[in-house]
Amino acid sequence: MKFNTDEIASVLREEIDRYQTGIDVREVGQVLEVGDGIARVWGLSGVMAGEMVEFPGGVTGLAFNLEENSVGVIILGDYLKVNEGDEVRSTGKLLSVPVGDAVIGRVLDPLGNPLDGKGPITTDKRRPVETLAPGVADRQPVREPLQTGIKAIDAMTPIGRGQRELIIGDRKTGKTAIGIDAIINQKHSGVKCFYVAVGQKDSSVAVAIDVLRKHGAMDYTTVIVAGGSTAAPLQYIAPYSGTAMAEEFMYNGEHALIVYDDLSKQATAYRQLSLLMRRPPGREAYPGDVFYAHSRLLERSAKLSDEHGGGSLTSLPIIETLEGEVSAYIPTNVISITDGQIYLQPDLFFAGQRPAMNVGISVSRVGGAAQTKAMKKVSGGLRLDLASFRELEAFAQLGTDLDAATQSRLDRGYCMVELLKQGQYQPLDIVDQVLSIYAGTRGHLDNVERDKVAAWESGFLTFVRDQTPEVRSRLEETKALDDETERLLEAAIAEYKRQVQGAKQPEPSLAGSN
Amino acid sequence: MTTDELNRSSPLDAPRDIGSARLAKVYAQAIVEAADRHQCQSEVVEELTHIVEDVLPRVESLTSVLESPRITPSDKTALVSKTFSGRVSTITLNTLLVLANHERLGLLPELVIALRRDLDQRAGRREAVLTTANSITPDEQAAILKSVEESLGESLTAHFSVNPDLLGGLVVRIEDTVYDHSVSTSLVSLAERLKQRSIHEIQHRRDRLGSA
Repeated sequence: MKFNTDEIASVLREEIDRYQTGIDVREVGQVLEVGDGIARVWGLSGVMAGEMVEFPGGVTGLAFNLEENSVGVIILGDYLKVNEGDEVRSTGKLLSVPVGDAVIGRVLDPLGNPLDGKGPITTDKRRPVETLAPGVADRQPVREPLQTGIKAIDAMTPIGRGQRELIIGDRKTGKTAIGIDAIINQKHSGVKCFYVAVGQKDSSVAVAIDVLRKHGAMDYTTVIVAGGSTAAPLQYIAPYSGTAMAEEFMYNGEHALIVYDDLSKQATAYRQLSLLMRRPPGREAYPGDVFYAHSRLLERSAKLSDEHGGGSLTSLPIIETLEGEVSAYIPTNVISITDGQIYLQPDLFFAGQRPAMNVGISVSRVGGAAQTKAMKKVSGGLRLDLASFRELEAFAQLGTDLDAATQSRLDRGYCMVELLKQGQYQPLDIVDQVLSIYAGTRGHLDNVERDKVAAWESGFLTFVRDQTPEVRSRLEETKALDDETERLLEAAIAEYKRQVQGAKQPEPSLAGSN
Repeated sequence: MTTDELNRSSPLDAPRDIGSARLAKVYAQAIVEAADRHQCQSEVVEELTHIVEDVLPRVESLTSVLESPRITPSDKTALVSKTFSGRVSTITLNTLLVLANHERLGLLPELVIALRRDLDQRAGRREAVLTTANSITPDEQAAILKSVEESLGESLTAHFSVNPDLLGGLVVRIEDTVYDHSVSTSLVSLAERLKQRSIHEIQHRRDRLGSA
């Protein structure tokens, strides 16, 4: 683009003509010491907690600790540019980030500066990073579903719009994958997505962004990155600034989804800041208010009442545990704050069950109200059945002879476990999920060999799509499984089974490959 | 009113050591209250200022002797009473003896600053630093101070300093608040505004300002 210099010159001339000098009144302090992303400042006697301060060279900071003789400031930016003796000025403002449609599809740092090289964020709309969560009167119970496209989650731990569902598990158990899948599945739902990467390897963030782009998810997603090499203050504020961007949509009656990946790293960054500021350490050396740091963040996810536009903000915080230790400080805190958790286990992951969700201790406290009728009908009892199957399975491993009833329950369990396996980045439409889970829970897969379940399922879904579209369209329209639909579905399954059987007879080697 | 203090960049700058400044404040408060009872406030402050500003710099090793932890408090007490008794008022002498007993004689320079500040505070006066680009005559200083005091409606203990980087105008700092009417700050803010305005125009009216 070529700029018209005359026009720009006229704009500048206009500005110079109108320029009036005024007295610049500011409150100042002086840097006493600086290091590790924090500064101790003398003066600034009128500064308020959480107020933004400015160092020379445009570096900003947040007044974090107000002490008798000095102010502890966390530096948001390059702290190596700040020197001892520098003048610090208070701005009287709170930290804010750009919000609105301009941030969609961008990769930003926690201050809202672009990191993707696609030019500046052109918007005048800003929101403060720290705001109060909507109060009781502004909310309504969760009632709409937020489909993650993952069978195991949508069937057993359904998530509603406005819910906070924790994803918890050891390293390398597929936590991020669930968040990314949920984002990819929002393609046609109109939900705006935010992925906040805190303390992650920059390479993994690059992979996540690449996956989102390949699946066309960057059209409605914003990625906020405070990578592992970013200073602790930025890692600490990243979730809050991501939430500020997402809230803009909620308060405008739209729906948003935010994934915090992950809050344990944010807690670690906060612990670092607090210890450097000499706040007293508590359990696991975390400061006393680490619970509040997370609760005030997650309370901002809400389903607003209809008078306030009915918008929602759903959050999927991620917590990494060490050796499955859910009773550590941060995991218990976040478990108690959220409306349920999806617990991922390494042994399930390595046994090939992906997502490696432990259904026994994964719950969704409010999502049931938001589940579609059809899904509720087909998946009722599935969670408890699977949990009891796990117990039976351990028993069966002893090699004792089992009676027919127990054996059939075991077979059903194995079959359901197979059915709930799902590949990464392959979210399923809710209707497809209802169809396959119906087939599983009603025992239509009991006679299918375990390693052929996946093939049977994909064949069946194709069959319904191509040959009995009325079942799909009825489910899509009513979102419920009424008697007539159920009858049609039974007929479709019978027909499909017949076709599979028919294909098996002449050429047995092709069985299950339709 | 004291003029250019060349040894410190500004009297409102951060103290060398926050801990001792804090201690000095406590001692200063106690001394002022004790002197108040004997109605010899100004005398005590004057004598202590004299000791810090004239006596200490003149006797080379005195400061290190007073600060040294290897000299016992009793030796310091003896030294202080031998040197100062009869030459200063009782309150000043007692102050020095208490400081010697508590091994706090090293605090003296901070103590004088804290004393002045405490007295100013009691008198409702605030400390100010007025910075100009060029040095000005005492008459001009008095005139500027008067107009500043009038416009703010309070009395000030003023220190004047010169900073050629300001280019022109005046910067008044009262405690932590800076009233900046210097040419350099105006230029910086003008530059910033022009930059912001240009960015705004370019972003919002691309069609008028640019052609593809």
